Amino acid sequence: MLFKAISKFAHQLDAPEVSAHCDGPCGVYDPASARIAAEAVLSMTKKILALQPPSAGDSAAWASYLNTLSRYVAIKEEQAHLAKSELLVLWTDYFKPVHLEQYPDLHTTFWNAAKLCSACKVEVSLEHANELMEAIENIHNIFWATKNRDVTYYTAS
Amino acid sequence: MSTSPSPIPLPTAREWLLWLIRRRLRMRVTGESMQPILMPGDLVLVDRRAYTADLPKPGDVVVAHHPHQKNLTIIKRVVAVSEDERLDLRSENSRAGSDSRQFGLIPRRLLIGRVTSRIPPP
Repeated sequence: MLFKAISKFAHQLDAPEVSAHCDGPCGVYDPASARIAAEAVLSMTKKILALQPPSAGDSAAWASYLNTLSRYVAIKEEQAHLAKSELLVLWTDYFKPVHLEQYPDLHTTFWNAAKLCSACKVEVSLEHANELMEAIENIHNIFWATKNRDVTYYTAS
Repeated sequence: MSTSPSPIPLPTAREWLLWLIRRRLRMRVTGESMQPILMPGDLVLVDRRAYTADLPKPGDVVVAHHPHQKNLTIIKRVVAVSEDERLDLRSENSRAGSDSRQFGLIPRRLLIGRVTSRIPPP
């Protein structure tokens, strides 16, 4: 009874914090960040492919067309690079040897996904952009399985 | 993991007394890497003099400075002490923590003390 009262009192006082966090200060990992970037890549790829060039001689329309195309390309490349960075962080920081025992093809999975990011950055390939989304969905499933959590995969678009 | 998770005892009368005379440091656990033996929000009592003469033993739960991040204090279990007195620290919940598998063995001087008891929230 007395100890309970002391415990309660001890909890009311401020105490310095000691971290049992996952990965130092934060440890917040989620394949969603890679998925969002990959969705942007897919979206930009579709927009580039759908863009219609203006008729010859219309310089204002050409300026507008080239401006839009350049922006789509720049965003596609930037987001493809971001998707790759996010995947590499998951691969090298979150995943541990114990996961490799559970998923022996983990390295191949990430290597292929990272290569798809590079392909999407360089090319205008709807096929590769869709494959990248599939690869990230697979990583999503592996990731949440290692945390014993059932998190439904979804896309924003 | 070679060590089995042995629970940390609740404070005895002696522990409470040592806290009152400031021989125990009270610290609050954040994060989940020491589950199931420590939950976020638990308080722990820490003996800062535990390792002035003695080396930690495998199985001890200790508080230490993080080797790479200033101002970060970590709580881990000692799984081994090397011949050159460096410590292999591990999370209890090995799926969820950065520990010696990432930051390597840590030198003894980074130790703050030994966790002697656990005070769960009332």
